[in-house]
Amino acid sequence: MAAITNQSRFGKIAWPVLAWLVALIFFFPIFWMVLTSFKTDADAVKPEFLFSFTPTLENYTNMTDNYDYWKFALNSVITATFATLFALVVGVPCAYAMAFNPSRHTKDVLMWMLSTKMLPAAAVLYPMTFLTKNFLGIYDTHFLIILVLCLINLPIAIWMLFTYFKEIPKEILEAAKMDGVTTWGEIRDILIPLAWGGIASTALLTFIFCWNEAYWTVRLTTTEAATLSKLIEGNRAPEGLFFGRLSAVSTAAVMPIVVLGWFCQKQLVQGLTFGAVK
Amino acid sequence: MADRTLPKLLQTPAVILLLIWMIVPLSMTLYFSFIRYVLNNLRRPEWTTPSLSNWRGFGNYEFVMNNKDFVLAMTNSLFIVGSILVLTVILGLAIAVLINRSFPGRGIVRVLLISPFFVMPAVNAVLWINMLLDPVLGLQGIAVGGINDMIDGLRDFPVLGAFFSLWPELEPISFRATQTSAYAVIMMVTWQWTPFAVLIFMTSLQSEDQQQKEAAILDGASNWSQFINLTVPHLARPIAIVVMIQSIFHLSLYAEIEIVSRGNGNKNLPYLIGEFANNNIGAASATGIFAVILANIVAIFLLRMIGKSLMD
Repeated sequence: MAAITNQSRFGKIAWPVLAWLVALIFFFPIFWMVLTSFKTDADAVKPEFLFSFTPTLENYTNMTDNYDYWKFALNSVITATFATLFALVVGVPCAYAMAFNPSRHTKDVLMWMLSTKMLPAAAVLYPMTFLTKNFLGIYDTHFLIILVLCLINLPIAIWMLFTYFKEIPKEILEAAKMDGVTTWGEIRDILIPLAWGGIASTALLTFIFCWNEAYWTVRLTTTEAATLSKLIEGNRAPEGLFFGRLSAVSTAAVMPIVVLGWFCQKQLVQGLTFGAVK
Repeated sequence: MADRTLPKLLQTPAVILLLIWMIVPLSMTLYFSFIRYVLNNLRRPEWTTPSLSNWRGFGNYEFVMNNKDFVLAMTNSLFIVGSILVLTVILGLAIAVLINRSFPGRGIVRVLLISPFFVMPAVNAVLWINMLLDPVLGLQGIAVGGINDMIDGLRDFPVLGAFFSLWPELEPISFRATQTSAYAVIMMVTWQWTPFAVLIFMTSLQSEDQQQKEAAILDGASNWSQFINLTVPHLARPIAIVVMIQSIFHLSLYAEIEIVSRGNGNKNLPYLIGEFANNNIGAASATGIFAVILANIVAIFLLRMIGKSLMD
């Protein structure tokens, strides 16, 4: 017993210190990016100005002067929001059907859905560009980006919702059915309130993935529907020399979602189990 | 009967959408992979429009398989995904156990730790390769330079100087070379996805049977054997999920490779497809089909194996 108490006294100091250290190391790159965004391009690469420098907003004003930052940001908000909404509108009924009326094929359907996410986007990029530009004429529209973002995140969303719905006792829904509640009423009045936590965290994760998507959003847009990933794409070309500018653009692109993540992290943590917790 | 049909029908919109999303582009890719189809060719302009008369059979596939980069891209894809999986699971387990107990500022530690997961992959790559890892201008270069200066200074010391003058000058590592850039990619993706593993492991650690643990402590089990015999088996499912979701995402890794390795020879399958697609759509499509096959092999091994345990 003595050994245990000894160790725990040592552990009382050592473990928290270690945990803080690890957390700070993990956070450091983000901190560094934000810090660099307040340096001039010249200062950013000088060792003597690592931490002591005259902060400047020059990079941010340059960014808003040279690029329509707010348009990119607005596009990101619009596309991510609507893609998330559509994913839920399509995903909730699907997950409901799979969780409460499973058939022999439910598992295979779910696995097939997930496997669609493993197809490399590059393999179908050319057909997609070809179709959307030449046949459908929806290239570089919000509609297309919303549709694509919704589709690429749908499998994960359905899976998350499914694992959540499965935890809900079937009896509750069956009792409602006895009382003559319609399917739609079941979903609206029983399922959604009961699984609200899971739906919220599914929405959050989908929103994050939509916001950060940088393959389709860059390649299926030019100006109209271009999101923040496109802004990053356009700014990363001159390597090495413009750390200040690069950091400002990156910070402006990343911070909205990081802050959202901070505020909702409790919600996200609760829902991000994928059925791992029994 | 009727009240069972409607609920079942509710999954059709999702299934149909995903079916179209998969089948239409995939069948076009399949078609293009069997014909000669290039975007620019002055000598053979007829090849620049897709048509059955340009049928090439398995020619594109042969061309791709004989390409010297193909095997490299294939093995690199697996190497990168595998390394990331191993690293994130180990780091994720260690960190989840570390922050599972309560201590001052745990909430803030958790917020700091999960932040990398929210960062856009493109920003992640730009940030790491330039500002952190650049051998001259990045923190790596600055740190190596600083250490070298320090050692230089110490060389002038009496007595001790003789010892320090034996030390070599440190050379910063360039992460833009073929092999090292794969390490850089592994590093940055691990940084981004370890928080995801931590999140999932943390949630399931909280559901661990505490009574069982107390019993083990009373029986004199060491911390390590508790961890191996109780915690790790308890985490088998979450580990499976972390492995599965990450394979789904990292097999199609693109942005990081493109930013870090552009033109230096390090490539994975999606990147090789992108390279072909600059002109030779036929070859790009054939490579795409190979990538689909690879994804399916992984899917069969992984999703099926893990999927079974997930459904009960």
